Amino acid sequence: MRLLLNTGRTVDQGVSMERGKTSSEYFEKVAVAFIHPDDMKELGIDEGDAVRIETDFGSTVLKCVKGGTEKGTIFVPMGPWANVLTGPNTEGSGMPSLKGLTAEISGTKEKVTTLDDILRMLGG
Amino acid sequence: MGEVYKNVVCPFCGCLCDDLEVVVENGKVVSTKNACPISKTKFLDHSKDRAKPQVRKDGKLIEVSMEEAINKAAQILKESEFPLIYGLSSTESDAQRLAVELAEFIGGSIDSTASTCHGPTIVAAQGCGAVKCTLGEVKNRADLVIFWGCNPAEAHIRHSVRYSVTPQGMYVRGKKERFIVHVDVRETRTSRMADMFVKVEPGKDYELLSALRAVIKGYEVGDVAGVPAEMIKQLAERMKGCRFGIIFFGMGLTMSSGKHMNIDAALRLVRDLNDHTKFTITPMRGHFNVAGAGEVLTWITGYPFAVNFSRGYPNYNPGEFSAVDLLFRGECDAALILASDPVAHFPIGASQHLAKIPTVVIDPKVSLTSLIAEVVIPCAIAGIESEGTAYRMDGVPLRLRKVVDSPYPTDREILEGILRRMKGC
Amino acid sequence: MLIKNGLVYDPLNGIEGEKMDIFVKDGKIVESGDGGETIDASGFVVLPGGVDIHSHVVGSKVNLGRLMRPEDHRKDPVPKTEITRSGVGYTVPTTYITGYRYALMGYTTVMEAAVPPLGARHAHEELNDIPMVDKGAFILMGSNHFVMKYVAEGDLEKLKNFVGWLLKATKGYAIKLVNPGGVENWKWGRNVNSLDDKVENYGVTPREIVRSLAKVNEELGLPHSIHVHCNNLGSPGNSSTLIETVGSIGAEMGGPGSGESTNETLKGTAERIHITHIQFNSYGGEDWATISSAAEEVAKTLNKKKNATCDLGQVIFDDATTMTADGPWQHKLYKLTGNKWYNSDVEMEVGAGIVPYTFKPKSLVNAVQWMIGLEVALLVEDPWRVVLTTDHPNGGPFYHYPKVIAWLMSKKAREETLGKIHKSALSRSTLPSIEREYSLYEMAIVTRAGPAKLLGLKNKGHLGVGADADIAIYEFKENDIEGSFSRAKYVIKDGEVVVKDGRIVKEHWGRTFLVNPKGELMDEMKEEFSKYYTVSLDNYPVQPEYLPRCEVVPCR
Repeated sequence: MRLLLNTGRTVDQGVSMERGKTSSEYFEKVAVAFIHPDDMKELGIDEGDAVRIETDFGSTVLKCVKGGTEKGTIFVPMGPWANVLTGPNTEGSGMPSLKGLTAEISGTKEKVTTLDDILRMLGG
Repeated sequence: MGEVYKNVVCPFCGCLCDDLEVVVENGKVVSTKNACPISKTKFLDHSKDRAKPQVRKDGKLIEVSMEEAINKAAQILKESEFPLIYGLSSTESDAQRLAVELAEFIGGSIDSTASTCHGPTIVAAQGCGAVKCTLGEVKNRADLVIFWGCNPAEAHIRHSVRYSVTPQGMYVRGKKERFIVHVDVRETRTSRMADMFVKVEPGKDYELLSALRAVIKGYEVGDVAGVPAEMIKQLAERMKGCRFGIIFFGMGLTMSSGKHMNIDAALRLVRDLNDHTKFTITPMRGHFNVAGAGEVLTWITGYPFAVNFSRGYPNYNPGEFSAVDLLFRGECDAALILASDPVAHFPIGASQHLAKIPTVVIDPKVSLTSLIAEVVIPCAIAGIESEGTAYRMDGVPLRLRKVVDSPYPTDREILEGILRRMKGC
Repeated sequence: MLIKNGLVYDPLNGIEGEKMDIFVKDGKIVESGDGGETIDASGFVVLPGGVDIHSHVVGSKVNLGRLMRPEDHRKDPVPKTEITRSGVGYTVPTTYITGYRYALMGYTTVMEAAVPPLGARHAHEELNDIPMVDKGAFILMGSNHFVMKYVAEGDLEKLKNFVGWLLKATKGYAIKLVNPGGVENWKWGRNVNSLDDKVENYGVTPREIVRSLAKVNEELGLPHSIHVHCNNLGSPGNSSTLIETVGSIGAEMGGPGSGESTNETLKGTAERIHITHIQFNSYGGEDWATISSAAEEVAKTLNKKKNATCDLGQVIFDDATTMTADGPWQHKLYKLTGNKWYNSDVEMEVGAGIVPYTFKPKSLVNAVQWMIGLEVALLVEDPWRVVLTTDHPNGGPFYHYPKVIAWLMSKKAREETLGKIHKSALSRSTLPSIEREYSLYEMAIVTRAGPAKLLGLKNKGHLGVGADADIAIYEFKENDIEGSFSRAKYVIKDGEVVVKDGRIVKEHWGRTFLVNPKGELMDEMKEEFSKYYTVSLDNYPVQPEYLPRCEVVPCR
C-alpha cells in the first residue's frame, strides 16, 4: 500500500533520547510508525504488529502505533529508523528530504529492525 | 538537603526556559521544578550513559586516556585535506567560536545543525528579510498566534505556557484574548490548543501561503491545498484584522517540498500584512543553541552556516558546503562532530560516509555517531556541567549555568586542546 | 618607546603642528623616556588615535545585517594572514575585520551606538571579538517601558534609579534615544510624527522623554550626554523636529530657545544633548521632490546652543546597509526602495530595522543628503561640537572616513564630487559656495579630540602625559588626503605598535568602557519585570564574565 511518509519530533522521542539512544526505551518509542486506523484495516494489521516500510532510499521494519496521523499518511519519529527511509539529496539547499516522501507499506512477520541492524547498514 | 539552584536556563530546546529550579545532592541532580518532561530527563539522567575517551583500534573502539584521544583527534584533522566540522548546536557560544577558529585554521568546512532544520529559513530571509520580534512581544501583544507546520506541544513543550498561548501579557491577558490557529498536514496535540485547525495537503504549504497573500492583496481564490476558499478568506481576514499577529513555523515548512521557497512565501506574507497591521514571524528553533551557532558563525565569518575556509577566507554555499551534501557526495575526508548526533538524524545515505572516514566525536553521551567514530572525546554537558552563552529561538542571549561538576573537560577546553596541538605541531 | 621628530597635532593640549618627541611607557604617554623602541616620525604627522563616537559594529541588529547580506560579503572577502583572522568586509564587516580596518585608519576607540538592553549580552560577546580598539556600548532607552512609565508619572527619582541600574545591568556607557516614543508605537504598526504626539498606552510625548532623560543624565553625572536620534528621521522637512528637540533641552535655564553657554554648561551640570547623524535630520522641503538642505538653519541653531553637539552621519556614494532602532523609519525605507527588510522588535524596550541601500550621486535626494553632512560640518563654527561619522553602515562604511576628511579639508575635493552629482541638487544647498577648509588641527578635533571630550574619556583623544598611548602616525600628502588617512604609517595602541606601513603587525585586545552610576531596582520594578519580560530578572544583568577587559569611567 502506498502512503505518504512524514518524520518529526515527539515528546517520547525527546525524553527517550535524553534517556540514552542505546536504551530500550528509545527503541520502543522511536522504532515505530504511526498509521491511521482505516489504513491499518486495509493493511490487515493491528497495533503492535510489524510493518515493512520502503522508500526510494531504503527499507526498514517498524512497530505499528494506531492513529496520530491522517488517513493516507504515516508518521515516523525522527531517529535512526526514519533515517533509513529519508533522502540525502538536498537539491542544492542543504536540507535533505525528510518529509512528504512516498512509502510502500506492508504487514510483515519480520522482526523490528534493531539499532545494531542499522549500524551494520552504516558499515560501522 | 541538597543545594537549590533557581532560575536555571534549560539546555534542551530553543525555548531556553530560564525559570527552572534544580536541586543537587552529592554532585547529582536529584530533582527539578518547572522543567518539561524532556528537560527533566536531561537533568536527572545527566550522569547516565556517558561517553568514554575511546580510539578505534583494529576496528574496535578501545578506551584510552583523554590525552590520547585528543592527540589522535588533532592528528586526524592535521592529516585531512578536506575536513568537516559539524554540529555546534548543543553547546555554548565560546565553544562555537573555537570551532570556527579551528575550521579556519585547518581550512575546512563548518556547518551547524541549522542546515537540516532552519537552513531554508535563513536562505529565504537572505532573499527578502523577515519581520521578527522577541517572545515577550508575543506574550504582551499578540492576539493572533498561528502555528504553521510545527508541533510545540511535543517539540517545544512550554512554549505555549510561557510565550504564546496562555500567559498573561501586558495587553493580552491569557488564552481567551488570543485566537490560536494551527496549520499542518495532520492534527496533533498542538491542534488541541487551537481555535482553528487548517489541514493543508502535504507538500502544498507554498500554495496555501501564496493564496493567503493573494487574498490579502484583494484577489479571489478558490479551494487551495485542500483548504476550502471560505476558510482561506476567513483566515486572511483574521490576519488583516488582528492587532498583533505572529506566525511560528517549524520543519513542516522547511523540510517539505519547496523548502526555502515555502519560507519565502511565509516571510513575504507577513511582510505584506504590515501594510495593514503589526505582524511578525519566528522560526521554532530546535537545539537550545542552534540560534547561537548562527550568531557566532555570522559575526566571525559573515555567514550563518555551510561555510568553507579552503581559500583562506570564508565562503558560503548551502548545497555545497552543507554537511549532508558534503557527506552524501563523499567529499570530506575527515569529520569533527561537536554537540550534535548526525547519525541519529541524517538520512543514512549521508551517515554512511561518516562511518567510512575518520570521524571525531565530542559528546557528553554515547551518541549514535560515537558508535561509528574513530575517536570519541567525552565532554561536560553545557548548561548542566559548564557555563556559557546560549541564544533563544528569538535571538535573546542567556547565560547557561553550571549546577554540577563534570568528570570531563568542557567543549571549550577540548577544542582549545586540539587547536593547541595543531598549532604546536 | 620614543616617537621622534613627528609633527604633532594635539588639540586638547593646544598643540598645532609642533615638532616634538613623545615618550611612551607601560601603555601611557609619559614625560620622558629611557630607551626602548624608537620610531622616527620625521616628516610624518602624529595624532592621538581616532575616536568614533557613533558606529554600528556589534549586536543583534548588526548581526542580522550580516546574516541577510551574503551578496554584500562576497564583494569583499578578507583572507587570514599569519597574524590576522579572516572574515568579510564591505558594508557590514565581521568583528575581526571591523577591528583591523579601524586600526589601519588610525582609529583606536569605537562606540557601538545602539544596544537593546535585552541584547546587551550579545553585544558584549561581539565586542570581545573585535580586536585592536577600545569600545563601549550605548544603551537604547527612548521607548523603554519603565522609562516611559516614570516619565508619565513625572517621577524623576524612580527614572534616575532605573536608568542608573539599567546602565550597570547592561554594562553600558551612555543613554541612547532613537525616535523616542515612536519605536513603542511601531509595535502597533504606527509612529509619532512630532515631539508632542502621544505614545499609545503611556500618554507621554517624545519631548517629555527627551527632556526627562537629559535631566536624569546630568543628575547621574554620566560622562557623555544623552545621545539622540531624533523623531522623523529621514523625512523631508524634518529639520524643524531637530531644531525643536535641541531647543527643548536646557530651555529652562533661559527660557525657550535659549541655552547659550553659561557657567553651568562649563561646569557640566547643565543639560546637554548630542544629536547623532545630524544629516539625516536636516532636511527642508515638503516631499521627496522638493527636498532641500536645511543645514544653514540647523547650523545656526547649533552655533547658538552651546549645550548641543552633533555627529555628521555623512553620506558616501556607495553601498550601505541601513540599520537603526527606528523600526517605523526602516519600514518606510523598505516601502520606498522595495529592498529586503528585516524588522526586530524587542520586548519592553525597543525595536530595529535593516534595509540595504545604495547612495547614488545621480539621485537628487542622495545628492542633497551628501551635501548636507558636509554643509553642517562647515557651517557649525566650533569644531569641538561636530564629530565626523558616517553612522556606519547607514551613510556608508566607516573605512570611508578618509574620504570625508578629504572633503572637509579640501574645497577642490568637494568640487570634484559636486561635478558628479545630480545637477538640480546644486541649488538646494549652500555647499557649493562654502570656502571653508578644515585645517589638520580642526580635522584632529572632529576625529579624535572632540569625540573623546564629548564622551568624557579623559585619557583618550590627546597626547598629554597620562593619556593612553593610542597614537596614529600618518604620512600626510596634501594632494592625496584620502590616501594619507586611509593607511596609517604607524598605529600604537596601549603603547604597542599594532600597525606599520598600513599593515596589521600585531593583534591587540582593547578594553570596554563602562559607567557605574547610582541606581538600584526597586521592588515594584522587580514585580513588573517578572510579569512582562520572558526572562527572569536573575538572568537579565550582563555577568562579569562578559567583561574580561574593562575600565570604569567615573561619573562627573
